[in-house]
Amino acid sequence: MSILLEKNTRVVVQGITGTQARVDTLVCRDYGTHIVAGVTPGRGGQDVEGIPVYDTVREAVEQHGAEASLVYVPALAAKDAVLEALVAGIHLIVAPAELVPLNDAAKVVDAVRKTDAVMVGFNTVGIITPGEARMGGMGGLDPDEIYAPGTVGICSRSGGMVAEVAWALKKGGLGVSTAVAMGGDAITGRRMVDYVRMFEDDPMTKAIALFGEPGTPNEREVAEHLRANGVKKPVVALIAGTFQENQPVGVSFGHAAAFIAGEGDGPTEKKKMLSQSGVRIAADLKDIPVQIKAALGRG
Amino acid sequence: MLPLTEDKAKVWLRRQGFPVPDGVVVVTPGAAAEAAARFGGSAVVKALVPTGRRGISGGVRVVNSPEAAAEAAHSLLGTDVQGHRVDEVYVETRVEIAAEYYLSINLESFPPRLLLSCHGGIDIEQTQATNPDAITVIDLDPTEGLNPWDAVSAWKSAGVNGEILPRLGAVTASLFTAFQTADALMLEINPLCVQTDGKLSLVGAMVGIDDDALGRQASWLADEAKPEWMFAGRNLNERERAVFAANQRYRGGMIRYSELDGDIGLIFNGGGAGLLQHDLILAMGGRPANHSDMNGINQDKIKALAHAVLDNPNIRGLLISANHLQMTRADRKVEPIMQVLAERGIDYAKFPVVIRMFGPREAEAREAAAMVPGVHYLPSGTPLEDACRLIVDLTRTGVTQ
Repeated sequence: MSILLEKNTRVVVQGITGTQARVDTLVCRDYGTHIVAGVTPGRGGQDVEGIPVYDTVREAVEQHGAEASLVYVPALAAKDAVLEALVAGIHLIVAPAELVPLNDAAKVVDAVRKTDAVMVGFNTVGIITPGEARMGGMGGLDPDEIYAPGTVGICSRSGGMVAEVAWALKKGGLGVSTAVAMGGDAITGRRMVDYVRMFEDDPMTKAIALFGEPGTPNEREVAEHLRANGVKKPVVALIAGTFQENQPVGVSFGHAAAFIAGEGDGPTEKKKMLSQSGVRIAADLKDIPVQIKAALGRG
Repeated sequence: MLPLTEDKAKVWLRRQGFPVPDGVVVVTPGAAAEAAARFGGSAVVKALVPTGRRGISGGVRVVNSPEAAAEAAHSLLGTDVQGHRVDEVYVETRVEIAAEYYLSINLESFPPRLLLSCHGGIDIEQTQATNPDAITVIDLDPTEGLNPWDAVSAWKSAGVNGEILPRLGAVTASLFTAFQTADALMLEINPLCVQTDGKLSLVGAMVGIDDDALGRQASWLADEAKPEWMFAGRNLNERERAVFAANQRYRGGMIRYSELDGDIGLIFNGGGAGLLQHDLILAMGGRPANHSDMNGINQDKIKALAHAVLDNPNIRGLLISANHLQMTRADRKVEPIMQVLAERGIDYAKFPVVIRMFGPREAEAREAAAMVPGVHYLPSGTPLEDACRLIVDLTRTGVTQ
């Protein structure tokens, strides 16, 4: 009941010997993630709490059949780490690094989109399939407090807001199939519409919740997809940042990508386009489960 | 994005062998006259500010003598162009122009894009709105780069023909390579001129560099990071500058602070949660005194942000709020703010403080908050909406308990 990540998915952690990587790796493993190997160049042959460490991703793939990679590598090294994973045949890459130069992101995303691989990030807290597995800090130390297993797919441009949306769903009596923090930067591995399509194709996902922000074409692309192909499953969107429309053009308040560069990518316009394409617009977090239940005929 | 002033942009272009007119930075009318004399009297005097639209705002003067150059410099120095004070002018030799074109490379979403026009000197935003057919937009491949022959095709589709095409193609391809090497986000050559002798000249040049890449760029480029330049057309006040300085001084994380004209101080963590709560507070009738974000757990940065918010004389209440922190320690966010609150002589009977901060080490964060009397640390799981409602109500009534 998920997209991308299940409890059997074999995960390698790049940069596993770093401080944050070590903590997050163990938290993920405790949750149920099938972590098969770690990679830190120069540390091949060591282990982290029983997880074998290799010098290259290729070795982790050859030795353990790793198919997903959690990339804990600093911003300026993140491009090469993701490309290494891609070339080694990894098909799900989760890359939390923040403040990655945009020209690096463009090269990485270009390479990813020329394949069938999915890259979540940069600037992401990760992905979680509640009750099965997680990659990244998503859910913190007590994921069960926030994420209940269920049938709502979440895609959010904000990592923190994935938790808030899931929490609101749980309080409203709903659970999550898979939640994806797609990345907060102007350029991300995959677009919001790509995740919407994955949720549409996932038999266990019954409804989709989106969190959007000013800037980037992500929300417009979702609206265009739904208008062209029809609404297959109910979609509810919460779009934040309307207040920015009264600020001078080009002023960024939140994420790097969340600035209003021109006409058409402000929250008001996005809400209008989504609404016209059949998306239900939530007024706030509490409204998300209300809207989903109404759409599913359970209100 | 860090915009470079024209002189820096042209130094950068010249170093890589691009054809750029000779020019010099001066700060007095006398020096402007000397420079113009060196260029044979015929020169262009430009206000040296990091913004576009200088021509439209009267910041560019064409002169025919050293005396006229001095006069132009005198009339520009000390004035305000597009919100920027003119402290320096750029005196440049005048090029004999046969044709003018427009070129820019932009990386704001995927993929990077090349914009071309056979009309030089245009205002690109205005042209996009009123005459989009005059602009040719080409998607660029960030991995493969731009081939000169593909650049030739691009110029042909922009309506340029003839013997200049191979030169235009070569320069355009090289500009994209230079763009990527310098970690630029924006490069505009306007006008890109064909001289009467048939050679190309990059007469107008603007470059914006990615802040996130400054650490790996040459120091002369990185040293251009000035707080005023972060915000187009708006000078930062002292509190905003202090936050910017703290970002540069201390390593790790990134704090943001933008002042507004309301009375509710906001210390947010998490870009998305901050945007949503700001919207909600406005919808509830509250008036934010600022927007902010505290990314990371650098204690000095968080204190600097708290000081900036509290230094604003207009604030009458404070909301400290975040999305669920997931892996980040709540105490490392709350403690430094409580230290700042404790060392200030605020009457908490009249100044409401609401905290919504849940996650690892929340118990320790609550202990730290308890040191400051009168703080409302909301119970775990309280919705974001309720935190906004409480600070709006408390600030409106002035009753804190």
